[in-house]
Amino acid sequence: MTALVTLERVGFRYPGSARPALRDVSVTIDAGTVTGVTGLVGSGASTLLLVAGGFAPRLTGGALTGTRHLATERVGIVFATPWTQLTGLASTVLGEVAFGPASLGRPREAVLAAAERALRDLGVAHLAERDPATLSGGELQRVVVASVLAMAPDLLVLDDPAAELDPAGADGLYALLPSVAARGAAVLVATPDTERLARVADRVLALEDGRLVRAGPATAVLDDTDVARIARAAGCPAPLPLDVAAALGRIAR
Amino acid sequence: MIGYLPGRSSLHRAHPYTPLAVAAGLLFLAFAFRSPAAVWAVVVAAAAFAAAGGVLGAVLRPAAMLALPTWILLTVLHGLLGGPPHLALGPLALSAPGVERALVFGGRIAAILFAFLTALATVAPPRLVEAMTARGVPFGRIYLLVSTLTVVPRMRARVRQIIDAQQCRGLRIGGSPLARVRALGPLVVPLVLSALAEVDEQALALDVRGGSAAGRRTALAPPADHAGDRLVRWTVLVGVVAAYAWKFAGAGR
Repeated sequence: MTALVTLERVGFRYPGSARPALRDVSVTIDAGTVTGVTGLVGSGASTLLLVAGGFAPRLTGGALTGTRHLATERVGIVFATPWTQLTGLASTVLGEVAFGPASLGRPREAVLAAAERALRDLGVAHLAERDPATLSGGELQRVVVASVLAMAPDLLVLDDPAAELDPAGADGLYALLPSVAARGAAVLVATPDTERLARVADRVLALEDGRLVRAGPATAVLDDTDVARIARAAGCPAPLPLDVAAALGRIAR
Repeated sequence: MIGYLPGRSSLHRAHPYTPLAVAAGLLFLAFAFRSPAAVWAVVVAAAAFAAAGGVLGAVLRPAAMLALPTWILLTVLHGLLGGPPHLALGPLALSAPGVERALVFGGRIAAILFAFLTALATVAPPRLVEAMTARGVPFGRIYLLVSTLTVVPRMRARVRQIIDAQQCRGLRIGGSPLARVRALGPLVVPLVLSALAEVDEQALALDVRGGSAAGRRTALAPPADHAGDRLVRWTVLVGVVAAYAWKFAGAGR
């Protein structure tokens, strides 16, 4: 597999902060994979996304130590709050999603085709002519993700992307991530939603106090989900099921 | 203050440059004349401009709210403190040249407010973006202009949210002037902090969607620039040049 991001002993400190947000993190993010990042608030998960995507310190300020190699400039990022991620310059959802490809100066037909495909992928094609300001938080977040996917990023970075979505919307969004990876992109997603992460992540990184404390397959790292704890208590042999769907599958077998 | 007000008037349907050119033309005309009658004729023209856009009623109140304190100040400064000859107005003796100056300055302020509030109310920011993109204006300048035009409605919406949230937590915003001043702190601090946080995330969102890309953006739906639009803009230009020629020829009274 092709390594898109390589971090070697990377540390990061925000401007004005005495405490490093990341310490001595070494990790490789490969193309065609979904990598999950978990950790408590303040563990450095969001910072790891910003550093891996090349946004920190370029846009945030601060000091980076160690070595970072980012093999692409085509990086998309999605935050938890959709309202701050709109351009505010489009009167329709289609225009909002088309903003990115249009910025690259692609032909009008190609721009619209990319935007329409991204809207279809996110299941929001029916919203194309709506004013973004009239959408619910969940609809808007899917539009934001579509806006980023329309740019066909090599690296897609998502910071708790389902925070504003209802359970069905969150399921739909997470189900989309492996298909994005299957097109050759690397997906890096930070979330406290370990059950959904377990369904889609090829690998999970666990952070504590800015340090990478565990890395490996979801079944090895995410062994403390509610379902896994119940399965362990019930004497279920490893690998433990991490979510309800996996547990039901195990029972069915 | 107002922002864009959707409508079907000729100004709403015109090329976005046309209402802006008329507003700019009215501003220049207001400064081209030095007699109260001529300046107030420009005010009447600006009011007619607002009426043509179907926004006279909406523009009148904010224009009056902004102009009234200045008119009062001008009347006191020039009318009461100006030189002779004086006009008797009941118990007051008003300076005739002072009143004339106050009328000219007050008229200019009124004309500018009518003209630019009308342009704000009738030019849809997304259409302006498309028009400027089609003319090859760099995105940075487009964003600077359009975000300035839309900042007031966005800040008003945010202030409304913060007031609601703080009132839910017991903040009282009525009462004596001192109590109102005290209530400003819990409103201004979250307003500034949330605006700063939004700027950070929006900068990132625009960056990943090509906001800083070099090269020309693709205009997806540039507004039509009809012969009538061009005629209006040329007429405004010729009118302004003629007014200044008249002024500098010494006939501007």
